[in-house]
Amino acid sequence: MGEFQDVDRYISILKECKPLLENEVKDLCEKAKEILSKESNVQGVKCPVTVCGDIHGQFHDLMELFKIGGNCPDTNYLFMGDYVDRGFYSVETVTLLVALKVRYKDRVTILRGNHESRQITQVYGFYDECLRKYGNPNIWKLFTDLFDYLPLTALIENQVFCLHGGLSPSIDTLDHIENLDRVQEVPHEGAMCDLLWSDPDERCGFSYSPRGAGYTFGKDISEQFNHNNGLTLVARAHQLVMEGYNWCHDQNVVTIFSAPNYCYRCGNLAAIMEIDEKMKHTFLQFDPAPRRGEPHVTRRTPDYFL
Amino acid sequence: MILIDELKNDDIQLRLNSIRKLQSIAKALGPDRTRAELIPYLQDSVLEDEDEVLVALCEELGKLTDFIGGPEHSTCLLPPLEVLAGAEEVVVREKAVESLCKIAQEITNSAFEDIFIHVLFRLSKADWFTSKTSACGLFTISYGRANAEFKKSLRKTFIQLCHDDTPMVRRAAASALGNFAKQIEKEAVKSEILPLFQTLSNDEQDSVRLLGVENCALIGSMLTQEENIHLILPVIKSCSLDKSWRVRFMVARLFKELCEAVGPEITKSELVQAFVKLLKDTEAEVRTEASLRITDVCGLLPKDTCIRTILPCINDLVGDGSQHVRAALAQVIMGLAPIFGKEDTNTHLVELFKKLLVDDFPDVRLNIISKLDLVSKVIGIESLSKSLLPSIVDLAEDHQWRVRLAIIDYIPLLATQLGVEFFDEKLSSLCMTWLGDPVYSIREAATSNLKKLTEVFGVDWAKNNIIPKVLSLHTHPNYLYRMTTLFSISVLSSVVGGDVISGSMLPLLSKMVTDKVPNIRFNVAKTLQTVIPLLDSTIVQQRVKPLLIKLQEDSDKDVKFYATQALQLCNLTS
Repeated sequence: MGEFQDVDRYISILKECKPLLENEVKDLCEKAKEILSKESNVQGVKCPVTVCGDIHGQFHDLMELFKIGGNCPDTNYLFMGDYVDRGFYSVETVTLLVALKVRYKDRVTILRGNHESRQITQVYGFYDECLRKYGNPNIWKLFTDLFDYLPLTALIENQVFCLHGGLSPSIDTLDHIENLDRVQEVPHEGAMCDLLWSDPDERCGFSYSPRGAGYTFGKDISEQFNHNNGLTLVARAHQLVMEGYNWCHDQNVVTIFSAPNYCYRCGNLAAIMEIDEKMKHTFLQFDPAPRRGEPHVTRRTPDYFL
Repeated sequence: MILIDELKNDDIQLRLNSIRKLQSIAKALGPDRTRAELIPYLQDSVLEDEDEVLVALCEELGKLTDFIGGPEHSTCLLPPLEVLAGAEEVVVREKAVESLCKIAQEITNSAFEDIFIHVLFRLSKADWFTSKTSACGLFTISYGRANAEFKKSLRKTFIQLCHDDTPMVRRAAASALGNFAKQIEKEAVKSEILPLFQTLSNDEQDSVRLLGVENCALIGSMLTQEENIHLILPVIKSCSLDKSWRVRFMVARLFKELCEAVGPEITKSELVQAFVKLLKDTEAEVRTEASLRITDVCGLLPKDTCIRTILPCINDLVGDGSQHVRAALAQVIMGLAPIFGKEDTNTHLVELFKKLLVDDFPDVRLNIISKLDLVSKVIGIESLSKSLLPSIVDLAEDHQWRVRLAIIDYIPLLATQLGVEFFDEKLSSLCMTWLGDPVYSIREAATSNLKKLTEVFGVDWAKNNIIPKVLSLHTHPNYLYRMTTLFSISVLSSVVGGDVISGSMLPLLSKMVTDKVPNIRFNVAKTLQTVIPLLDSTIVQQRVKPLLIKLQEDSDKDVKFYATQALQLCNLTS
């Protein structure tokens, strides 16, 4: 029973939105590395499972997600990346998800998003947040080293293919993905980069992405890919969608986004996709968690305008 | 001296750290050298530093008395603080004033009269507004210690600051006015301070005028009713009609305090009309603030005045175009029921409650539901259920899950008051619907609701009415809903007694041991763990233990874990 004592304690601290100590994070990341390094690039996942998109450090909305979808481990979860950056609580959010993975490795799957990278986190907030909360970049180093081990994609019951970004011109089959060496910083180009950066588009074929990394891919590509690999659906995250989920490419692709009112200002709903034991899916949408103690905005002019 | 070197370091973090250690540095130097070397050094070199460092310095200087040789030497801290009180950054000035006030209380009378009060006068007569605004913060603390002569010049200086050319200084003076007035002899208040208050309340800057409103309540409480009518009331009235919404907003926010300051008679005769105007204000912010005070203000008025003058406004506000106004109204309107009494609540308010219960904005609905008990106390549950129950039942299926949750929380109370027959007829099917809600938190609340209902209506009722329905959920095709059966068993087991557990719950649990989803199997183990302490030890050994042994051999790691944990409890009770 003693096996999980520490991790159970970490989880109860983190659920109150309090960061762990540096040596505790170190211990947690070592345990997580051992588990994640055994997972494959296309990690097999059984149904039933609840599939979630971007979280982006919105810790209280992640708690809201569990209020809607059920607690871990009672509900199985698959998260498709982008745990950090932009929100105020990237540290607590990613630490909690990693702790849940360590505690319940068969109940939780966590994939890599384009923000789980050294370069991106230095620009979009996770690096600064680590520095602010710990006074040094050690925690950032521990996590970004761990991110290299996160699986790139998951496959639910050989039918639903889940990943953060989208398809790649250098990948035709799931076997191609299995053969990638994923333990490295997200490269600027190539198959691994595309899986984390690409977006579906109305134009057919592959085109250069306006994001500067990855591609946009058309309905023809999605249909072909699903057909070649015997898939029914590609589930991905990576893009803000106002309703929290959005079908495209004739229901060959669905986008799921789980950060409500993204960046605390976009006004979007969030969603999660419950897949039951018969592979039937249901979407649940949700609003941001109520933020107690924050006054609602009035138009009182700040004094410095006078 | 390493510490002093750090005060000069290029890295702001290091400078900040060493300022924070100022007490240690002073202790190491001793009081004499601190006075002779450290303080002058700080004054010469640090005052040009970044604001963050200056804020820290202001705070630390205020804590240094014990390290410079005690209160008789505190005056050596005044020169640097006097400079800091003139800083550009407002946070620095505020901290400097705070520390100056602290020192003013410590120093001897002669030091106060010879040195401190002159710091105040110098700041008041400085060229630049920053020092003058800081000076305003020192009057209240100085007045009590000053002799008659100085008191007179303090008042005179303050009057000058109130008429200063820069609005920043007038604003600082206006915010200090109320507390300063409390220190002053009543005669002087009337002859010297009240005219100031009136001047500031008519200031060309709205930021100054709105501070005047706060002073109304403070100064009003020091005067007689007669004086209030002549001196304070005109100011309140003109502020409530001010052309700036921020001033009207402040009047609305402080309306209860203002009413209390002028007393019930003037409130009724003079202020009600001002309040009505605020409730009809063109700005939503003002209406929101005024709406929030409705119950407070009505509490100070005779009922017929409320019904004649305030109620028509409330009728309009129920349909206000701003959701924030309606939410504010919904937050307080239920509190009117005790003031109105049974008959008038039924006649005038119930219809309004109904309208707000179906408002488009969820916060409005939520605010009403969470205060229903206030109303049921007044009009009685029967009348409440007749008039409001249909709306409540509609809300039970509201698309906002927090609204549904608020209704569930209210159900046990409703059940107590309605009685079992009425409940079975009108509400029991709702309670079962919630068990199958798509949102987990609603299912969870629905299970604990069942426990509370069992406590209200008794085990026999539960056995016949809810347990069969709960147990039938175990055939649901989705594991998340089958899980609800298990959660309900865990929650209900503590109130239904061993017979029901072994009679109807255990057989079901033994069926679910072979569920194909591991999450169900380990929740069977968890549920068994909760019921073990409630069962006879022979039943535990004969019927529970074999199930757990089977689960312990499961291929799933989590099932094994929870089965092993429960088995340990089994073995403890054997």
